[in-house]
Amino acid sequence: MNAIAIAESRMLLRNRLVSGCAILLPLAFGLLLYASRDTHKPGGAIAGVQTVLMIAMGTYVTATTTLAARRQTLFLKRMRGAAVSDKEIITGLLLPVVAVNIVQIGVVFAILAATDAPADPLLLAVAVILAEAMFTGLALATAGFTNSPEHAQYTTAPVFLVTLAAAVWFQVTSLGGPIAVKRALPGGAVAELVSTAWNGGGLGAVPVLLAASLGWAIAGVLAARACFRWEPRR
Amino acid sequence: MSPRHYAAAGTEAIVEAMRPSTQDPVIEARGVSFAYRARSGSAKTPHVAVRNVDLAVRRGEIYALLGTNGAGKTTTLEVLEGHRAATSGTITVLGGDPSDRRRIRPRMGIMLQDSGLAAELSVRESVALAGAISGRGDDVDKLLDRVGISHRSRTRVAQLSGGEKRRVDFAMAVWGSPELVFLDEPTTGLDPAARDALWTVVAELKADGVTFLLTTHYLEEAEKHADRVGLMHAGSIRRQGTLADLTEGGLSTIRFVPPGALDDIPIPLARTQNGLAVIETTDAQRDLAALLEWAAGQGYPLRRLTVQESGLDDIFRALGHEAPGHEAPGREVPRNEAAAHEGTGL
Repeated sequence: MNAIAIAESRMLLRNRLVSGCAILLPLAFGLLLYASRDTHKPGGAIAGVQTVLMIAMGTYVTATTTLAARRQTLFLKRMRGAAVSDKEIITGLLLPVVAVNIVQIGVVFAILAATDAPADPLLLAVAVILAEAMFTGLALATAGFTNSPEHAQYTTAPVFLVTLAAAVWFQVTSLGGPIAVKRALPGGAVAELVSTAWNGGGLGAVPVLLAASLGWAIAGVLAARACFRWEPRR
Repeated sequence: MSPRHYAAAGTEAIVEAMRPSTQDPVIEARGVSFAYRARSGSAKTPHVAVRNVDLAVRRGEIYALLGTNGAGKTTTLEVLEGHRAATSGTITVLGGDPSDRRRIRPRMGIMLQDSGLAAELSVRESVALAGAISGRGDDVDKLLDRVGISHRSRTRVAQLSGGEKRRVDFAMAVWGSPELVFLDEPTTGLDPAARDALWTVVAELKADGVTFLLTTHYLEEAEKHADRVGLMHAGSIRRQGTLADLTEGGLSTIRFVPPGALDDIPIPLARTQNGLAVIETTDAQRDLAALLEWAAGQGYPLRRLTVQESGLDDIFRALGHEAPGHEAPGREVPRNEAAAHEGTGL
């Protein structure tokens, strides 16, 4: 698994387009959100949106694109001919993508924390891990019906746009609407969970938010098991 | 031999008893079929790519699968490699399930038809990665040198020619000298010198007891290097055996420039072609002797005299005319082959 992860890291860094999309774009997006935040609001609001959008962009889109590319070139098929398990292959391939994304989130959180530190770092970490699990699972599932890296631009759009909508809905409180729907959307509960962990205060909604986030993570993994393919369709 | 017998016989006898015999079947396939599923939303029925294949490959031999385009060679290989689950039939590779990645795969090397290399990695990194996940140990630099690609060690795969990529593929397959190596069209895209170099490595590994199952479109390579050959057409193995088994009873051809009148020639001519008289015979030695005796008696010079024995290409071309369901009576498995199958449980 380590050898696969090291090789994947090299590939990630050497392909300028992929490294730009996976490393620079989510980071720039996170920093842009920070710069344009409402400074009168507590940091949790922007942290929730940053987390969801950066993971959707950095992990979900990048992982889908990477997996589709590795399958298209039969790299996955070659890996499966070796003495490593499917789990080791997937972990090795996705570890660099997720690790880079966590570092990106760490950077923007550190900047935000300089002026407004999170109240519950443990809950914050749990929220980020659940979001990573959810979007990694969804990436595996989406890669199942993504024929090529170019095709990923279309296939990732629905989940990404719904996530974006959920994040905006969460941040712009004046939009109102049923809170259950907001929490049920992919990323909606995670954004609120991050916000709650950052701002502190009442933790009454945390079990519901954790359940919804965990539900999406499980749904992502189940979708991955059902949809993921190792070889191009013939 | 029971454990008590081992104890009585001593260490040497134990080692000898455990040493794999050249008659050990490394691959045993019985009644193997494989069908590609119809695509969802399509009215197409499943495509049966492999039909009822029986195959036994013995330890230390080179077995070549030949066949017409779309005959099912690659699918057969991928089923035997454990890449695809057979629709029906039984497969044993190295005494187990070929898809067993912990127990069996470390003993196998696989060279796919399509490379599956990562464009962004260098040759050395690619081979080192394949080695790291193979379950076997080797020296990457020595191996690159052995397969003739060490001069491109630091070059990214994206910058390699097709032939160079095949050499990288080959290096990955033979990393750590596995017991069994699958090679899917290993010499396609290689220049003659590179082909010779690859076959030299194969011969060296074979001498060390490595078993090879390969596919190729180059009949002369199969004739030259394979111990046994299987001929596939429309998903099934139509004939298999040694070259002698397969060509036995085939027609040899004697050609020469007609020296003049051929009315009294002692052997019937099959035809004249491109200015050459052509005799087809099942006993080339007898008919050639008769022809030479006749020519000497007549004082005729036999210019451009050639004798060509029946070869794989003749059998191969005949395959193309066989109907998909056709089975050549009495030629499917030569008798000696059938006996070998009985001995191995096939």
